Amino acid sequence: MKLFEKKKTDEYIIIIGCGRLGANLANTLSANNGNVLIMDKTKHAFRRLSQDFGGLAVVGDGIDLDAVQNAQIEKASAVIAVTNDDNTNIMIAQLARDMYHVNRVIARLYDPERESVYRDLGIDTICPAVLSAKEADKLLGKCTEEESK
Amino acid sequence: MSKTEKDSILLIGGRSKAKSLALSLLAQGYHVTVINESEEDCEKLAEIKNLNVYHGDGTKLYVLDEAGAAECSIAIAMTAQDQNNLVACQICKKHFAVKKTVALVSDPDKVEFFHQMGVDSVVCAISAVTGIIQQQAFIDDMVQVVPAGYGKVQIVEIRIPEDSPASGKKLWEIDLPSEVVVGCILRRDQTLIPRGDTRVNSGDTLVVIAGSGQEMEAARVLTGR
Repeated sequence: MKLFEKKKTDEYIIIIGCGRLGANLANTLSANNGNVLIMDKTKHAFRRLSQDFGGLAVVGDGIDLDAVQNAQIEKASAVIAVTNDDNTNIMIAQLARDMYHVNRVIARLYDPERESVYRDLGIDTICPAVLSAKEADKLLGKCTEEESK
Repeated sequence: MSKTEKDSILLIGGRSKAKSLALSLLAQGYHVTVINESEEDCEKLAEIKNLNVYHGDGTKLYVLDEAGAAECSIAIAMTAQDQNNLVACQICKKHFAVKKTVALVSDPDKVEFFHQMGVDSVVCAISAVTGIIQQQAFIDDMVQVVPAGYGKVQIVEIRIPEDSPASGKKLWEIDLPSEVVVGCILRRDQTLIPRGDTRVNSGDTLVVIAGSGQEMEAARVLTGR
């Protein structure tokens, strides 16, 4: 998480989708003194946030213009779209980047094929399947190295 | 795939809309393929003769590939969700080089954004329908309304009734809203292109071009209602 290591108090990060990844990110960023707002369609999702989460948790739809405007998206230094729907994440990322001119926009996409299309379109994407495959490959490499010793 | 005379059109999602659009396009001689996520809808659609039906998520590359998106010249996305329509159109455009993409949008605020994101044509069903309902509910004197410029401009036919305050006046004497132009006067079997000193009579039908929703105000001034 090199991205967020430089601690600037004026950094304002919006996370959309409070699933395991969203909540985890929010907890970490908040623990590192970041200004964090996390948004989810259902209030129930916020149970995943830790007790000492110091940011804002807002119920709202990340692709609803009123909801993101209320979250002052135009002031955000980063928007991270991690809902469980790829297409929603894509739309949030494009809204944030092109309508509200947010500098840093990241979207999580489950579908690796879709990920490659949108990476080409200049959106920073995270694809768990691709990352896991790389990691597994790395671990396998390690195993074989150790065996050969 | 054999070289076809008429274009191939891909329809993504949509239940009854897909059905009636497919029927109409097939009747015009197009080659039509439908992608639908619901098995039930697919079965219904498969009853239509000459229609290619694919069951799957039309925002996935391999589904679009199998359905032959690369051979289509027009892709129309009309699922119930805006984000799916956006992604379907973008993948068709960027990955399969479909010439023209059309997206249905339910949120009127996103029309401009969809254009910016490279969708060629954006149709907002809600604003189109509410516009028509408003006209039907409030104005009987508007015979026909044609939206132009994505609904920003309306071309309206307005009939001048007997008791209209505008009847017998010259055009420049009528206090029309600023963004309204009278383009044509239909008088019995004649069509007149009016000037400022053209007199408006009761029984005339005026073809009015109105911007920024001023057609209602224009109708009020011209009919006195």
